[in-house]
Amino acid sequence: MTDTLSQLYRRFNQLRGRRIFIVPTRFGFVYAGFLLLILLGAINYSSSLGHVLCFLLGSLGLVAMLHTYRNLAKIELHHAFSEPAFCGEMINFTVLFDNQSHHDCYQLDVASKQVLTPTLNPFRLFKGYKHHYLVAILKAQKTTSMSINLSSVRRGYQPLGRIRIASQFPLGLYTTWSYFKSDASALVYPKPVGHLPLPTSTDHGQQSNHHKQSGVDDFSGFDIYRTGDPIHAIAWKAMARDDVMRTKQFTSSLGGNVMFSWRDVAELRDTEARLSQLCLWILQAEAAGINYGLSLATTTINYGHGKQHRHRCLSALALYE
Amino acid sequence: MNSTLPTKNALLWLMLGLSLGALPHFSYQPLWVTGIFACMLGWRCMAIWRGWPLPSKQQRRMKWLHHSIAILAAVLLLTSYGNLIGRDAGTALLTVMLGLKVVEIRSSRDYYLSCFLGYFLVVTNFFYSQSIPNAALMFIVVAILTTCLISLNDAKQALNGRSQFKLASQMLLQAIPLMLLLFVLFPRISGPLWGLPTDAYSGKTGIDNSMTLGKISQLIQSDEIAFRVKFNGQQPDKSELYWRGPVLWHSDGTTWTELNNKKLSTKPNIVTLGPTYNYTATLEAHNAHWLFALDFPNALPAGIKTHFTQDGQLLSDEPLRQRQQYQLSAQTQYRFNKDNDGYLADALQLPNNQHPRTQQLAQQWLQQTQQPLELVQLALAHFNQQDFYYTLSPPQLAGDTIDSFLFESRRGFCEHYAASFTILMRAAGVPTRIVTGYQGGEINPVDDYLVIRQRDAHAWTEVWIKGQGWIRVDPTAAVAKQRIDQGMNTIMPLNMRSPLLLSNSRQLAELWQTLRHNWNALDNSWNQWILAYGPELQKEFLSKLGMPNPDWQQMVIWLTISISTVLLFISLLIFYQRKQLDPEVYLYQKFCNKVAVNRKASEGPIDFADRVKQRYPNHSVEIEHINQLYINLHYGNKSASMDDFKQAIKAFKPPRI
Repeated sequence: MTDTLSQLYRRFNQLRGRRIFIVPTRFGFVYAGFLLLILLGAINYSSSLGHVLCFLLGSLGLVAMLHTYRNLAKIELHHAFSEPAFCGEMINFTVLFDNQSHHDCYQLDVASKQVLTPTLNPFRLFKGYKHHYLVAILKAQKTTSMSINLSSVRRGYQPLGRIRIASQFPLGLYTTWSYFKSDASALVYPKPVGHLPLPTSTDHGQQSNHHKQSGVDDFSGFDIYRTGDPIHAIAWKAMARDDVMRTKQFTSSLGGNVMFSWRDVAELRDTEARLSQLCLWILQAEAAGINYGLSLATTTINYGHGKQHRHRCLSALALYE
Repeated sequence: MNSTLPTKNALLWLMLGLSLGALPHFSYQPLWVTGIFACMLGWRCMAIWRGWPLPSKQQRRMKWLHHSIAILAAVLLLTSYGNLIGRDAGTALLTVMLGLKVVEIRSSRDYYLSCFLGYFLVVTNFFYSQSIPNAALMFIVVAILTTCLISLNDAKQALNGRSQFKLASQMLLQAIPLMLLLFVLFPRISGPLWGLPTDAYSGKTGIDNSMTLGKISQLIQSDEIAFRVKFNGQQPDKSELYWRGPVLWHSDGTTWTELNNKKLSTKPNIVTLGPTYNYTATLEAHNAHWLFALDFPNALPAGIKTHFTQDGQLLSDEPLRQRQQYQLSAQTQYRFNKDNDGYLADALQLPNNQHPRTQQLAQQWLQQTQQPLELVQLALAHFNQQDFYYTLSPPQLAGDTIDSFLFESRRGFCEHYAASFTILMRAAGVPTRIVTGYQGGEINPVDDYLVIRQRDAHAWTEVWIKGQGWIRVDPTAAVAKQRIDQGMNTIMPLNMRSPLLLSNSRQLAELWQTLRHNWNALDNSWNQWILAYGPELQKEFLSKLGMPNPDWQQMVIWLTISISTVLLFISLLIFYQRKQLDPEVYLYQKFCNKVAVNRKASEGPIDFADRVKQRYPNHSVEIEHINQLYINLHYGNKSASMDDFKQAIKAFKPPRI
């Protein structure tokens, strides 16, 4: 019974679109109080124009409600995405809002909340929001990008959560708000901390000596361009000669292959500390130009180098269960 | 969000709105109220433009200055008004308070409050005057104060001042239909709900219950309307238009006063004769009891509680604090206490030991005749044949005013003639009393209302003759017959009837008169329909609309229905989005409509143009030109000018096929 009812309710919500709430602000109530005062004065002095003023302001209040509502009526969340971040850093979501109306929307208060507790009371939903913009503007029939910075709590996927846009424009007598849900989430890498030295030995695991140790220091020759190679490494002069795209290869003086594995960090207290240590090592190895791989209980990533490789390794750490 | 400081523009808008709202008050408020208000606004302006310090925690001195101004204002208010709750005091308090508040606006909260108080300031204007210009000012002030709210809620100033004002006006325009519905249908309650402050109705000019020589001639400076009359059917002759007000009996030598109330409570015996004139009068509020009635009404008016006094005054039981409408029928011939009057002794009262030369003159006349009517004729002839002048600016009288008027200055206004005639008659033993009120009036040709202004105020006399009762005698008529026959207008020099600048030319003065008549007619309908719209008129109007016996439940139901409907329309207006066509597409559509060729949905402009050219071979150059422009504008690099395109399409006139 409850299921069917809630299903019906969900259907109904889908049909009528996004829900927009509107309530008077405290200044709206003060305004109403003043209207009452004017009405009393008008009645007491039998002033016809006093009535006119009271009714004009009352009607203005009603019209203002429509105008306030219009400010949110045609806003849609278009799309949201973010770059991965390290735990403890800020996650920077880019959220694109679509204003489909022919009017600019002014004075928008953009806030978000990540942890949602189910409640039926719409007023309780006000609590715990983080305000990102207080006076944002969405141009008519344009898509506007906003960046929403959230602090990362733990590693893994962190959802954008719920975004609330509120507005009191134009008169400040009503506040109207609406919720926008997005499936977007940011990948949070473990926090790169630890005190263990970077393992220099290349003996761990099944290392392969023929693997190139790419680096940044010494020029070692050309290689055929592969998608993803950095642009600054392309040998433009050589390309001018024979139209073949090559990249200049450099080797690092440190050299060597390192496979970071769970065993290396076994002495650390708990999983998070271990992951953090591994994370730090990966960053250090990347900076030093060492080829590195990762061997965890669940996944093994072969030796590699570069941004993509780093992301693969860090993701594996972030999503480690 | 609410603690942000209002922007510079928001503050300037607020100050503009408040100054305009307080503007009508400046004319009657003491100068220091205006002074403090202006200084405070000036202070804030200088803070905005020149960076002057404002009172705050950091600026202790400014804070002290601000506080001392507030205390000074409070002291001044208390000393000049004695309290803070009256109408005048309350308004002055509000004005001063708003000025002081403007200086210390630091947050949105302060700003909202000032704005709302500004709205309230507008309503205080209506406690003084509900004229059309005041109503127009209301709309302007409300629009500006609404702009203030918009400006406050647009902290980024994304809209410029003009667009903010435009949005405010737009919202007000959308509010007006709702306002009209509320005005008509909102159940009205007749006020006052509680006691009004004693000064609520002060400052009304008009006839008084006493008369000193020179008092009525002050009234004629006033162009203010005393009342308006609409005759249903025939209208009496102008010389019969005597509108009776206070009747004065007792003189102390300079001031004339009424009989006391107790004596007046008995009913007079009046028999009316002759043709009946029905009329509706709309009397402006004068805060006293007289209903100025044409001599003599043959019944009491319906709808208001009134009574006749012994000396023929029509008095309302309540003071007339609002514009009052009443219907009367009058007959201009009457017999008033024909056989006997209880107060003949009062009509013979003379101040002790005064006016010796006047009494002497009366004694001389008594030696010629004892007949009252002949004595009256003697006096009138005296005024007529001696060198008496009727003047609107009589000279100041020194010493015994009646004697010095009759024997020295001989220049006077109606009250001089009425007073001296009364003294003469009483000295000769003829019972006489002074009647004040209005005489004549001016027909407004626009709406045929007879308009009686303060300057039509008049004083005449009545003598009692046995067998005939009280007879009206107007000594002024003996001196200036024109005044009675044609009204005050003809007597007054042009420069008193129109502005000085226009009075040099007769045409301009006449144009002025015409404009004034039109304005008065408008003002009259305004009074009759807008200002008089109270519980009674509402009932009458709604039953005319087909709501028999409207009660408040019915009104509320209709109000809800109609407001919801109108709101629905307004929301359609607000939310409906027209499909916006590019301008060149819109123009091209016009071109397509001009030719007798239907463009297929799949057809591009080139193919379509080819077909059109086939149809109109003579116009192929023009068609090609238009086509090229359209392609350039819509698909190309837009180097062509839109004006050219517009011109080309306008100039293209294909023959009808």
